[in-house]
Amino acid sequence: MKQIFLNIWKVTQREISRMLIRPLYLFASIGVMGLCTFFFLSIMKRGAPERMPVAVVDKDQTSISRRLCHETNATQSVEIVLITSNYADARLAMQRGEVFGILEIPEGFYADIVSMKRPTLHFYVNNAYTVGANTAYKQLLTMCNLTSGAFQREVLRKKGLPDYLIMERIQPVAISSHLIGNPWGNYGIYLVSTILPGILAIIVLMLTIFAIGFELKMQTSREWLETAGGNFTVALIGKLLPYTLIYIVLGIGCNVILFRFLHFPVAGSSLRMMLAIVLLVFAMESMAITLIGALPTLRDAISIGALYGMLGFSLSGFTYPVMNMLPVFKAWTWLIPLRHYYKIYVNEALMNGPIENTIIPMLSLVAFSLFILLVSRRLHNALIYNNYPLK
Amino acid sequence: MIITRYLHSKWLKVQETWSVFVNELRRIFRDPGVTVIFFLGTLAYPLLYNFIYWKDNVENVPVAVVDMSHSEESRAFLHKWNATPDVTITHYCTSMAEAEQLMRAQKIHAIIYFPTDFATCLNTGMKTAHISLYCDMSSFLYMKAAYLSCNRVMLEDMGRIQIDRYEAMGMDKQFSWILVQAAPYTETALFCESGGYASFLIPAVLMLILHQTLFFGICMLGGTAREENNELFLLPGHRRGYSVLRITLGRSAAYFLIYYALSALVLLGVPRLFGLPHIGDPIAILKFTVPYLLAIIYFSMSVSVFVRNRESGMVTLIASSLIFLFIAGVSWPQQMLPDAWRYLSYFFPYTWGVHGFLHINSMGATLETTAKEYISLWILAGGYFLTTCGLLGIMGYLHDHHRLPEHRHATANIANT
Repeated sequence: MKQIFLNIWKVTQREISRMLIRPLYLFASIGVMGLCTFFFLSIMKRGAPERMPVAVVDKDQTSISRRLCHETNATQSVEIVLITSNYADARLAMQRGEVFGILEIPEGFYADIVSMKRPTLHFYVNNAYTVGANTAYKQLLTMCNLTSGAFQREVLRKKGLPDYLIMERIQPVAISSHLIGNPWGNYGIYLVSTILPGILAIIVLMLTIFAIGFELKMQTSREWLETAGGNFTVALIGKLLPYTLIYIVLGIGCNVILFRFLHFPVAGSSLRMMLAIVLLVFAMESMAITLIGALPTLRDAISIGALYGMLGFSLSGFTYPVMNMLPVFKAWTWLIPLRHYYKIYVNEALMNGPIENTIIPMLSLVAFSLFILLVSRRLHNALIYNNYPLK
Repeated sequence: MIITRYLHSKWLKVQETWSVFVNELRRIFRDPGVTVIFFLGTLAYPLLYNFIYWKDNVENVPVAVVDMSHSEESRAFLHKWNATPDVTITHYCTSMAEAEQLMRAQKIHAIIYFPTDFATCLNTGMKTAHISLYCDMSSFLYMKAAYLSCNRVMLEDMGRIQIDRYEAMGMDKQFSWILVQAAPYTETALFCESGGYASFLIPAVLMLILHQTLFFGICMLGGTAREENNELFLLPGHRRGYSVLRITLGRSAAYFLIYYALSALVLLGVPRLFGLPHIGDPIAILKFTVPYLLAIIYFSMSVSVFVRNRESGMVTLIASSLIFLFIAGVSWPQQMLPDAWRYLSYFFPYTWGVHGFLHINSMGATLETTAKEYISLWILAGGYFLTTCGLLGIMGYLHDHHRLPEHRHATANIANT
């Protein structure tokens, strides 16, 4: 027993020296994770899109149309960057990507509205940029509705109705919306909480494949196995030990930054979020071992790993719901550790739901380690005989 | 005599470039790793992404209803809401607690709540009736589907109620109708009418796939050359005294030839095959692709000088893809990027490439309209061409003087033994 621990320690020592010789390992783990954390937090700092550029085609050019522009511009979410009397100009600005929405005020708007001829406002949005377009759409829709409302208020006032009665006529129904788990509708909280663990997961996958595959490629795998006293399990544990520690520190560090320092909402237990990210690291390591075991050539394993890892983001369902995917991809999502992590995140951080919704994904993450059993023999043989192409 | 000699010397230079070009093509096709990235990567990824985002819009989001008013009005509202493609009412609950349980268990993604006085408020005509909508924020697309459809139904309903109220005040029907919609409006999605997720994301992803496969393919070739300590590959013909300029031209011509064909196939074919937006002029897209590919090629060749291993670049593939996607201002509006990141993004070919492609392909812009992107790409291509020549020149010099890092290791090893 003591011998086993001694061997693990020997392999670990060997690994640490290998790790320090090649800058890749520390750069791709700590460097990339640090950079991504900084990058995503800094670009998402403001959370919700503000002051999205829109254009106004003011064919009316009266005090009313100018007031409409003025009030649109005074809102938080849009900013008028172009006022023109020509629709073609505004459309061209949209095609250049300079504005996300256009509000067109028809000619004679003022004259028509006071003479009750119902002039029509037009607004256009550019769905090729979805976030900007959504923001502009909501605001322009509101402005158009408010225009009719303002007119009604004026007429009713002139009819002598008190203001409190006017409001109820202008807005007989009101919707109050409540955004559960992210009351500000903050994109930063929504995206970063899953993107960063996702990036960590990919780093774990690719680096673990690389660390094992590189032994095969450089034909040092036999020496590695000998250091471990010929024991395959000892060799794996010893090798992955230092990396695993780094990954766990990175993962927990990332969640501590998000949930403790930046106060991203956690409705349930932040402790279970920490556990979840640790399990995510183990699940990705298991998948990495499985891939390099199934394809014991560094080049093949790393290409397939990249493909699998990239799809992980889409298939985790945090942007595009899994509910809407084709059945084959719905099944595929079970093989994506990030999907299970995301389920835990939703249940713990946003919903504080029933505990089984955390336990089942956690068990699924643990179950990924079973895949290693499928390939352990194959990988062991590959380490001994090195009988696969090197390049 | 002088003229023939001059022409001959020119001809030799063309021949040099040609031999580098042929040599590079041979290398690409003999390297199974690179062929997989170049050909399988560019062709398989677009298909996979299209199948993942097959349904484009999020539809039939399951929602729960808590109707405490039990009124005809609330039922009429729900009936209309349920008829929208966006949501499907799957649960009728008797209390908020029950609905909350369902939301927590992720069985539903929105709750609509009608208070007991909903119908009373409407019918007495004196108060604003309130509806509460609770949205699951685990995906913004759930929220968008539930929120927007509910709002539309509300606006429609509201107009009808307002007319009733004005009629009750004694106004005539015509007048109250005009009053309610004093300024009607039309809403038009000018581009990408469906407003779906796929038609927005996939055109951007296509450009990213071209960028990333080309970038990592070139890095892999560079890494292999370094690994095999075969400087002839990074600077083929260097020993025979070929100039760096012609080596760079010859190598890049090989990448360009392959990728121009692939780009045409992917950028023109995929949107048409999967019914994504494609209102652009194909000729404009083909013209725009030229500086985009050249900028990527020289950008990648400059970076590949620093790559020392075949596979090491691949490790950063995915993290860099996400950074490119966000820094370009596609997923997240460019206007919201901090200035430092935005200026940095101008150095990446993808930033210009993706906006230009979206403008032409999804928004029907002409090449003149998207001149800013087009010219910037030419500038980047030119700039990176110079850095590539410079870096390769330095490489050649270092190699000739045995000063590359691997030389140092080799000397150290000899010293050790």
